[in-house]
Amino acid sequence: MPDFLLRDPESISATGLLVLIALILVLFVCTLVLSAYAVVMRSFHRARAKQTSELTDQWRDPVLSAVADPTLVPSVQSLVSDDDGVQFVDLVIEYVRRVRGEERVILRDLVKPFLPQVAERIHARSTERRAWAVQTLGTLGLPEYAAQVVAALDDSSPLVAMVAARALSREETPEYAGEVLARLDRFEGWNRLFLAAMLAAMGPAVSKQLRDALADENGSPWTRAVMADALRLQGDFLAGDIAAAIVGVAEDRDLLASSLRLLSAVGRPEHAAVVRPHCASADAVVKAQALRALGPLGGDQDIPLLVEAMGDPSPWPSLYAARSARDAGGKDVLMRLVASEHPSAALAEQVLAEENSL
Amino acid sequence: MSELLWDVVGVFNWVVLVYFVLLNGVYLATSIFAFGALKRYSLRLRSLDLTDLITSAGAPPISLIAPAYNEEVTCVESVRSLLTIEYPDYEILVVNDGSTDRTVERLTEAFEFEPATRIPTAALATAGVNRVLRSRTHPSLWLIDKENGGKADALNAGLNYCYTPFFCAMDADSILEPQALIRIVRPFLEDASTVAAGGILRIANGCTVERGRIVEVALPNNLLAQFQVLEYLRVFLAGRMGWAALDATLIISGAFGMFRRSSVVDVGGYATDTVGEDMELIVRLHRHGYENGTPHRIHFVPDPVAWTECPESLGVLARQRDRWQRGLFQSLTRHKRMLLNPKYGRVGLLAFPYFFFLEMLGPVIELGGYLSFTATIIAGRADWVVVAAFLAVAIIFGGVLSLSAVALEELSFRRYPRLADLLKLFVLAGLENFGFRQMNAWWRVKGTVSAVRGIQGWGKMTRKGFEVQTDEEAA
Repeated sequence: MPDFLLRDPESISATGLLVLIALILVLFVCTLVLSAYAVVMRSFHRARAKQTSELTDQWRDPVLSAVADPTLVPSVQSLVSDDDGVQFVDLVIEYVRRVRGEERVILRDLVKPFLPQVAERIHARSTERRAWAVQTLGTLGLPEYAAQVVAALDDSSPLVAMVAARALSREETPEYAGEVLARLDRFEGWNRLFLAAMLAAMGPAVSKQLRDALADENGSPWTRAVMADALRLQGDFLAGDIAAAIVGVAEDRDLLASSLRLLSAVGRPEHAAVVRPHCASADAVVKAQALRALGPLGGDQDIPLLVEAMGDPSPWPSLYAARSARDAGGKDVLMRLVASEHPSAALAEQVLAEENSL
Repeated sequence: MSELLWDVVGVFNWVVLVYFVLLNGVYLATSIFAFGALKRYSLRLRSLDLTDLITSAGAPPISLIAPAYNEEVTCVESVRSLLTIEYPDYEILVVNDGSTDRTVERLTEAFEFEPATRIPTAALATAGVNRVLRSRTHPSLWLIDKENGGKADALNAGLNYCYTPFFCAMDADSILEPQALIRIVRPFLEDASTVAAGGILRIANGCTVERGRIVEVALPNNLLAQFQVLEYLRVFLAGRMGWAALDATLIISGAFGMFRRSSVVDVGGYATDTVGEDMELIVRLHRHGYENGTPHRIHFVPDPVAWTECPESLGVLARQRDRWQRGLFQSLTRHKRMLLNPKYGRVGLLAFPYFFFLEMLGPVIELGGYLSFTATIIAGRADWVVVAAFLAVAIIFGGVLSLSAVALEELSFRRYPRLADLLKLFVLAGLENFGFRQMNAWWRVKGTVSAVRGIQGWGKMTRKGFEVQTDEEAA
C-alpha cells in the first residue's frame, strides 16, 4: 500500500481532491454553525431569563398580595396572558413548595385556569416533558387532575412513574396511598430506604395500610421490607407486634433486617425474646440489627451478651453491640472497660463519647 | 534513507490516519450522544424538586473523604466550603496524608480539632494512623492524621473510618458547590444498583471565591489555564456525558465522585500501587460486577460541580499529565483481560478498547505521526495538497469538537456569563491545535514511557490557592 502522503500524481485523484475539499468545507461550516449555535443559545437563554425576570417582577407582589387576601385571586389571574400561563405556573410552584395549609390552597386556586395547558403536556412524546407535567399537576392540580397523575404511575417511563409516585405520596393526600402501594413492585429498582421515606411522608393516615402490607404473608419480602422501613420512619408503635411475628419466622435477609430495625425503634421489652436468637446469626447484617435492637428492648440480663458481642470480628455487630450495651443500662460496665486493657476499651470509649456529644 | 524505511514510514502514516479517523469518530459520536443526553437532563431538572429531596428523610447519610497532602494554602478554604454544603446528613473526614507543611496546624487553628475516639469499620491496609481528631466547633468534621502513603492510601484510611452507606471521594483542594451532594446522590436513590457516580470538574482559576463558595465565574488570565478550561468542558460535557449515555462510564475523577461504601470495601478499596487509583477503582468495580453477576451501574451526573485549581505552569502541567497517563496505563494493563471481552458488556467491547487503543496508545501514534509526517515532508516526498488537506481537516475537526463542547455548555449550564469569555473559548478552540495539543501528546508519551519503566510517584504539584475575596471586598 503506498504512503497516502506521497507525492505521486496518481496518489490523489480529482474526485479524491474534491472529496477532501468538500470535507474541509463541511467541517468549516460545522465550526461556524456550532459557534453560531452557542451564541444563539446564549442569546436565547438570556432573552428568556430576562423575560422571566420581568414577568416575575410583574407577578411577584400581586401573587403575595393574593396569598394575604384571596379576594385578589381573579385580578391576579387577569394579569397573566394565556401565552404566559406555563411560566406563571412555574413561578407559583416555587412558592407552593415553601408554604403549607391555607396559603398553599390559595396558590393552587391562582394557577387553576392555567393547568389545562400543563395537562396537555402529560401526553408529550418527551419523557422529561411528561415528568414535568406530572410533577406540576401533582403539586398544584390535585384532586382535579388526580386521574392523570395516577395514570402516570403506569407510564412506560420509570422517571415519569417515579415523579408521579412522589407527587402522590404527600401527607395532605393520603387518599392516593393505595394507588402507590398497589404499584410498589414497579419501583423495585429504587433505593429501598428512599422509597420507605417517601411512603412514610404520607403520615399516620396511611399507617394502617402499611401495617397490613407488612403483615401480608403473600406479599413479596422486598415490599414487606419497604413497609417495615416506612413504619420505622413513622415510629408506628402498633407495628411492633407484626415485626416481632416476622422476626420469629422470616428467612429473607432484607425482611428480617428491616423488621429488626423496626423493632429497635418501636418494639417493647417482651419482643426481646424473638430478637436474642438472631444475635448469634451467621449473617453479619442480621446479627448487627439484632444487636442494635437488643439495646432498647433488652435489659441488664443482656449486657454480658452485648459486651461479648463487642468483640465480634465484624465491625458493625461490634459497634451496635457497644451502643446497645450503653442503651441497655450498661454504662458502668463500659466505663470499667475503658479503664481496663480490654480489647474493646476504645470502642466503649467511643460509644460513651457519642452519647456525651449528642 | 533506504526504501524499506520509507515503506515503514508509509505504513505508519496509514496507522496515523486510521487512528485519526477513529479517535475523531469516537469524539464526534460521544459529542452527539452527549448532546441528546444533556438536552434530556436539562429538561429533567425541571421535573425535580431538589428542596423536597434535600428535606426528605430518605436522603442517606454521606461521608466526604478529603485526602490532604501539603495543602496548607487551600485546605482551610476548602473545608469551609465543605461545611456550607446543603445536605441533611453528612460528615467530613479530612485525611492528612503525612503532610510536611502546616496543613494540620492550619486546620487545627481554624476548626479547633481535639483528639477523639473513632473505631474503624473496615480493615483496609493503610499506612499508620497517628491520631483521630474531631472539631470542637463542627462536630461532623473529623481529621484523620496518618503517615504518608499516597492519595489512595489516604482514601482507604478514610474509608476505614467511614460510618455511612455512601461516601464522596474528593480532593481537599476542591470546592464543592452547595447542592453538589444532593445532585450526585440522586442516581443512588433512583437506582439501587448504582455503585458509583461522578460529577463534573470545573476550573476554579480566574473565579472568585468567597467564604468557601465560588461567587463569580470567569476565565483565567493564564493561557495554559484557559486551554484547560476548554479541555475540561470537552472531556466532561462531550466525553464523559457521551460515555454515560452509552452506559459505559470507565472513569470518575478522583477529585469528585460518590460511591457505595460496601461495594468499594468489597473490592478491597483503592489500589495503592497505581497513580490512577480513581480509574482503576471504576474498572475494578465493573470487573467485579460482571464477574460476579451483580447488578452495578456507574453514572455520570453533569451538574454537581467540584471546582478545582489547575496548573498554570508548563512544568506542573507536564507532571500532572505524565501522572494521568501512567495511571491510565496501569489501570488498563492491570485489567487487560477485559479488552474486547464480551463478558464485560459494553465496557469490555466499547469503553475499554477506546481507552486502551486511542487514549493509552494514541499519544504515541500521534507524536509518531508528527515525526513521520515531518520526515516525509522534509524529504520532499509528500504531496503538499494531501498534507495541507490533512492538516486542515485535523485542525478544523479539532476545532469542531471543542466548539461542540462549548455549544453543549451553552445548551446546558452556561457557567461563563461574560460574552467575552464565550468568544475567548471560540478562539481557544482553534488556538489549542497549535502547541497545546502537541505538548499534551508529548507529556502523555513521556507518561507512557514512565509507566512502562515502572516509575511511580505523583511528582511535585504546587498550588497557588484560590482567589479569595475578603469580607470587605465582598461588601
